[in-house]
Amino acid sequence: MMKKGLFTLFLFCLIMVPLALAGGSQDAEQADGKVPITYSYWGTPDEGAAVQGVADKFNAGQDRIEVEIMSIPHDTYVTKLNTLATARSLPDCGIMNEAGVLQFAENGLLADVSGMYGSGDSKPLESITFKYEGKPVAYSAANEILVLYYNKDMFDAAGVEYPPVNAENAWTWDEFVDTAKLLTLDADGNNAKSPAFDPMNIVQYGCMVENLTWQLEVWCLSNGSGFYSKDGSSVHINNPAAVEAIQKIADLHLVHNVAPLSAGLTDDGVQRSLIAGTCAMTTNGAWNVGTCLASAREEGLNYGVAVLPYMKEKVTICTGGPNVVFSQSENPEEAMEWVKWYSREENSWALIEAGIWMPVLEKWYTDEDLIRKWIDNPNFPPYEEYKPAVVDYAREYSRSTAWYYVNNTVDFNTLLGSLLGDVWTGAKTAEEAIDDGYTSLVAAFRGDG
Amino acid sequence: MKAESRAAWICLAPSIVGLVFITYLPLASMFVLGFFKWGKGAPDPVFIDLENYIRLFTADPFFKDSIKVTIYFSFLAVTGSMIYSLFIAMLLNRRVPARGFFRAVFYLPYVLPAMAVFLGWAWLYEANFGLFNYILTGLGIEKIRFIADSRYVVLSLALIAVWLSGNLIVIFLAGLQNVPKVYHDAAEIDGANGWQRFRHVTVPCMSPIIFYNLMMALITNMQVVIPALALTNGGPGNSSTFMTYLMYRYAFISNQLGYACGIAFVFFALISVFTIILFATSKSWIFYEGDSH
Repeated sequence: MMKKGLFTLFLFCLIMVPLALAGGSQDAEQADGKVPITYSYWGTPDEGAAVQGVADKFNAGQDRIEVEIMSIPHDTYVTKLNTLATARSLPDCGIMNEAGVLQFAENGLLADVSGMYGSGDSKPLESITFKYEGKPVAYSAANEILVLYYNKDMFDAAGVEYPPVNAENAWTWDEFVDTAKLLTLDADGNNAKSPAFDPMNIVQYGCMVENLTWQLEVWCLSNGSGFYSKDGSSVHINNPAAVEAIQKIADLHLVHNVAPLSAGLTDDGVQRSLIAGTCAMTTNGAWNVGTCLASAREEGLNYGVAVLPYMKEKVTICTGGPNVVFSQSENPEEAMEWVKWYSREENSWALIEAGIWMPVLEKWYTDEDLIRKWIDNPNFPPYEEYKPAVVDYAREYSRSTAWYYVNNTVDFNTLLGSLLGDVWTGAKTAEEAIDDGYTSLVAAFRGDG
Repeated sequence: MKAESRAAWICLAPSIVGLVFITYLPLASMFVLGFFKWGKGAPDPVFIDLENYIRLFTADPFFKDSIKVTIYFSFLAVTGSMIYSLFIAMLLNRRVPARGFFRAVFYLPYVLPAMAVFLGWAWLYEANFGLFNYILTGLGIEKIRFIADSRYVVLSLALIAVWLSGNLIVIFLAGLQNVPKVYHDAAEIDGANGWQRFRHVTVPCMSPIIFYNLMMALITNMQVVIPALALTNGGPGNSSTFMTYLMYRYAFISNQLGYACGIAFVFFALISVFTIILFATSKSWIFYEGDSH
């Protein structure tokens, strides 16, 4: 027993000492009397400069806290945080990937933020609050929902009406598929409804429904199921409704020939479809307005935004990377003060104005003046179109993506993505793939996988 | 200690320190951590005996497939690269016009940034509008889902690995230039044709080089990870979930560090077995000049 303890201690020293040396230590208080806190983030150098600018403004605006920015490349962000957590050198606070939040909470690495907002404050939307065992552990720094983007020129050329922007008039799934057929063209200009249509020679597809695993949840919800039960306590992916929803997505390519083959592996669906000029419609996150569609519009893409079609229920899912306070922080109150201040829309205005982030506080979805301030600018599609299709849709029809209340979604989604690979190519049906992997999916959900 | 020995130790010290701290200690740590749960669900390492290994061989939905895929890929990539490299090296060893240019052309893929190479190939392989499928459609042939179909994905990735084997070409070329011309001349006088000269002169003289390249190609290709990271995320299905990619996924995406170390150790053992087999069989076919065998 003693030997095992010594051995573990040796092993621990072997790994911890270099990490601790690399991490360094933090003084409790700086020479100027300010409490130093570290905030980690990922992003491009431009985004880094923007974050630094906000931190400088915060540091200059008060004499109690000094925020230092820690930049970590996006691709290695979670890895780095995991390493720092192991070395007990986590920053005081930072942005986090949605899927890792409850994992960190389960490991006791996140502070309880239920006291961050007082009773008089406008709070972040309930749908973007991460909860572990019922307690808020983080709020998303931005809100994002899934919407439908479309190429207006392709619709005009086909003489087809644009998709509805009001959720009340949302297309049914069949209407969506039917329209996609009119917009799918072969090399001779025949659409997918024409008897002369050649599916081997398609030059323009009617749609691409993004099948990145986490985004598929919206279709399972739309068909009356979901990946999990509503309270997140059990796995429902094998419900006939969920299976049917996934099969319907696969059938867009396999049966209807209206969508390109997509392996669902990369997060660049808008670029691969709408911007590449190969698809008339695509689903994806609201952030695309700012991240890639703005520049595509400058280069001539005449795009519009609409609500998603629905199967049984009108629904979209929302998400957004949160700012968290790490429990290893020696100054959690100061960290929370900075995070709360930093999360104010005014401080992320460049990202919100560009269409990359959507606001998190409820008032931005209800106050007409604030909504106009937010979206009535040239970076967005026309106000009359964007407000019902995104702002109202987000307020009235969005539900939290599962990772707000379900743990182990990284493993679950990885496994599900892997199982569905053969569904997209038609090698298996959704039912076969999910039945084959159901036991493993449940194990992943429980954290055994 | 003699001055000469002291000087030798001083010169060797950086390498010894490097080997100990960068190779052997991490290797030992990896082996030991394979017996711990660490990361997800256990912020501090918890000793769990053989649980990681039991889970690996009895409950992991990816592991067995990952071994098969890794071996299948390695077989294709190693065989393909050896044949391709030797063939190209023999062509480049002849007096062809612009020989230096062609040597550079075939070596170039090896020095290009790996991610850029793979993203370029992603465009060539794209299932709907990629260049290869554009050509196939133009020829009236049905499209092939190169990396989106579990039947073709490993073959398609192995083809990239073959294309990338410029280093093997250079080593083969160096070896070919050291094959004594006198042997070829003697064989020619004895009436040997081109194939016989290749089979009975070139190959035996090149056998140590072939062995070295085979070893390098095996180790490199078994450690394949970038294609899975850049192109397929291990899919479709599990069809390109190589062992190293699985290890990466468990360690750095799922944060199961102890478990990933278990995989790493099995992977290490697997490579060792292949290497030992290769060494054990090498004596029967490697010819060293001046050797009594």
